[in-house]
Amino acid sequence: MLDVVGTLVRLGLAAIWLVSGAVKVVDPIGTTVAVDAYDVLPGTVAPVVAAVLPIFELALGALLLVGAGTRAAAVVSALLLLVFLAGLGQAWARGPSIDCGCFGGGGAVAPGEEAYGTELVRDLGFLALAGWLTVRPRTRFALDRRWDRGDGDEPGDGDEPGDGDDGGHGDGSMTEGRSAPAGAGRNPR
Amino acid sequence: MSSRSERERREAAQARLSAAGITPTKAKGGGGGGRQGLVIAAVILVVAVVAGLFVYFSQPSSTGDAAAVAPTYTAARTGTVVMAGAPTAPVTVDVYEDYLCPACQQFERIYGDEITTALNQGKVKVNYHGIAILDRASEPQGYSTLAGSAALCAADAGIWPAFHSRLFAEQPAEGGPGKTAQELAAIGQQMGAQGDFAGCVNANADAAAIAQATNDAAGNEAVAPGGSFGTPTVLLNGTKIEINDQDWLSRAIGA
Repeated sequence: MLDVVGTLVRLGLAAIWLVSGAVKVVDPIGTTVAVDAYDVLPGTVAPVVAAVLPIFELALGALLLVGAGTRAAAVVSALLLLVFLAGLGQAWARGPSIDCGCFGGGGAVAPGEEAYGTELVRDLGFLALAGWLTVRPRTRFALDRRWDRGDGDEPGDGDEPGDGDDGGHGDGSMTEGRSAPAGAGRNPR
Repeated sequence: MSSRSERERREAAQARLSAAGITPTKAKGGGGGGRQGLVIAAVILVVAVVAGLFVYFSQPSSTGDAAAVAPTYTAARTGTVVMAGAPTAPVTVDVYEDYLCPACQQFERIYGDEITTALNQGKVKVNYHGIAILDRASEPQGYSTLAGSAALCAADAGIWPAFHSRLFAEQPAEGGPGKTAQELAAIGQQMGAQGDFAGCVNANADAAAIAQATNDAAGNEAVAPGGSFGTPTVLLNGTKIEINDQDWLSRAIGA
């Protein structure tokens, strides 16, 4: 049941973004310090990133939680994780002793107290989750199921409780989508 | 707008296909929401970025003029505490800062202009407590104390507001060498320090007093509740405040 695995992957990645966004959004000063500690961005840009990043993470988490635009959210997640990995990697290679600040905290730590290896492995694990959803975004209990209804032939795919409110939208986009039945529909004309 | 008729067309097409014995294959990798999902994801993420920018531009540091507010208040020191502003001001703020502490730098970046304005207007007086908890985080060690001591020299030399701001604006990185006494002295002299400023900075004469003040602060329940002391710690009329609460000062002075 790859859909079940995919669903767990999607909800797991959603939880990661929601938690990491939430702890950052309540501590803007700490987040700015953490971003600044990477010593990559100019001092004037770090606060902007520190303000935008937590809300962006929360938005990614929310999209994945409800399963809206799963593939797009997964691709963006993967790109963001690659940026984090690059940041961590350069810090490790170049020398500043920092905590990644991935889930709050962050900033400089005493040399020897860094956990770059653990943090890199963890981010690679998250990247694998995003990779799964990029390749195979199909999951259960996702809003996408309604918009993709033309794709599947299992009945009731997009009909989870509470899904009925904007069914008309879904139907409209289906014909434009790149799903097989819609493509096939063009032939007879 | 014509979803009903399109749906009917599609169903009719599917019926024709199945009549011809063709089963449409499932789209490979379907389930990502297709175009609609893409559009919704893009809209939500763009809204998130805009919301983040809004948060950034609503910080107190961004509400004033582009140029830093020029300090016109007076500052005098007693021991290791620099008292800034009019002694008769109705609101008292105590700020515990370490010159090497990045969060203190952010505190100054976000609230510095707002505090300077309130000081200029006589609405608040601020006791700046130079603290040294990060002496071990510079190489050679001791930048926190050296900078704190130099700032006290700057108070005596009549350049405290500018010198204090400058030390945070140009804060050295943790783990690095920090600024040397010569560099600190040069900054003060460039600002027009009176008296033997370089001699005062080089003497680092307040080092012991700063260490004592740091211990006292860490043992003060109002400053370090439960023995947990960090910088920046800010007291408003004697009560510790949450510095992520961006309205703490404007509320206190009724601005």
